[in-house]
Amino acid sequence: ALNPAKKERRSRWSTTKSFVPGMPTILPADLTEDQRNAYLLQLEIEDATRKLRLADFGVAEGRERSPSPEPVYDANGKRLNTREVRKRQELEQLRHEKIQALLKINPNFKPPADYRAPNIRLHD
Amino acid sequence: AGIDLSQGAGRATEILCLMNMVTEDELKADDEYEEILEDVRDECSKYGIVRSLEIPRPYEDHPVPGVGKVFVEFASTSDCQRAQAALTGRKFANRTVVTSYYDVDKYHNRQF
Repeated sequence: ALNPAKKERRSRWSTTKSFVPGMPTILPADLTEDQRNAYLLQLEIEDATRKLRLADFGVAEGRERSPSPEPVYDANGKRLNTREVRKRQELEQLRHEKIQALLKINPNFKPPADYRAPNIRLHD
Repeated sequence: AGIDLSQGAGRATEILCLMNMVTEDELKADDEYEEILEDVRDECSKYGIVRSLEIPRPYEDHPVPGVGKVFVEFASTSDCQRAQAALTGRKFANRTVVTSYYDVDKYHNRQF
């Protein structure tokens, strides 16, 4: 009989490598917790910044895709909460949290030039 | 700030530490945790013999050391080196994987 638990699923691993310029992914073993955490945060911030610039939101397929919420439209009938808009907001929120966490470890960290703290909407 | 990464990985050990792979939320769900274990074991086994695997899980609100990191013990340092070369910089659930070798005694004493 078919065993549904054995259903094929996609691995979380990518087949290709991605390089963040100036940020190698091999670290020495003897870093302090703070040094390691700061580095990982910086890498995630760089990664998120690059995705935001390229509008690369890695929209999930298949089982990973969450159900869409009810559509919300503006006065002109333009949909506001498209997948892309929601993904961008999620990524901006994630980047915001990482930036705040890094500033706690390294107060001299300079956030990316295009960073704005959330809830300050320049458009709308 | 002020981290010198020009020296590379340093001396290889049998333990590979994989970072920036999993979030606390993903580790909390039992089915997701099992899938993560399976994904890591399957992929690492392509590059060497996996002797053991540790993925610390958050426990309620207690701080658990090493949550967010994945540790893999290989049968030899050359297996571990091969796995590091193959896995570092790949993406896992769309996050860039960072790696380092890890102290063998610390691993076996569960100092994550």
